[in-house]
Amino acid sequence: MRNPLRALALACALTLTPACASMQVGETRIENPVAAARTLDQRAYAVLHTYAAIIEEATDIVRDPATPIGFKRALGQAERVATPAAETLQIAVTAYVQARADFEAASGESQPTLERAAIALTIAARRLSEAVLAADAPISELEDLVRARRG
Amino acid sequence: MLNWIMQLQLLLAALSTFLPLAPSESRERIADVLDAAAKALAAGGAIAGNIDDLAVKLAAVRAEVEAMVAAGRQVTADELDVAMARVRAASANFRAALETAEAAARG
Repeated sequence: MRNPLRALALACALTLTPACASMQVGETRIENPVAAARTLDQRAYAVLHTYAAIIEEATDIVRDPATPIGFKRALGQAERVATPAAETLQIAVTAYVQARADFEAASGESQPTLERAAIALTIAARRLSEAVLAADAPISELEDLVRARRG
Repeated sequence: MLNWIMQLQLLLAALSTFLPLAPSESRERIADVLDAAAKALAAGGAIAGNIDDLAVKLAAVRAEVEAMVAAGRQVTADELDVAMARVRAASANFRAALETAEAAARG
């Protein structure tokens, strides 16, 4: 053993290198909460919380001094479009939840009352569906920017 | 992402153990290169940590929605209020942070 230090270094390298190749730690997987929803109200709820999580992430990016100001402005522009869409969605889902409660309450009422409640619920459901669709594009745009910066 | 960075960091550690085998005149330069790569990976790890934050939050929302679906439960008005309050708070924080960034950029 002419050079024990070199032999030790080689032994360490040979031990650690295969360990690097085989190691599996903390695999990152981005979930899509909206895909798990089955009903309109669940979908709206998932969209609102997903959007909140995306803005929280965007805030961290904006606070990072290393982020270029142009990118921060692009995030700001996307947020100014997406937040009103989320507000419209909240109004639509609240109206839907109320219309559904009214319909359930009217189940023991007269036929005209039940029909009115059913029509109101149908309209609220259609408006909610439109609001979910309308929120999709602006929220996706902000999400794409966040992921482009982070990914 | 974190997994990938962790593997690269371990590979760097393994490579650095080869340092004594390098010719003495270039050993310092190689050590500098490995050190710079390790710092770059550490910065990348911090960024990956942030994307992991988002992944954790989205996974929590998904788990909550899946539980609702499994129980056949409807969303309540109170839950919607909480969700919207979170959106409004996040939006206000974002706009404040953007104003601070704009002020810093101006001057």
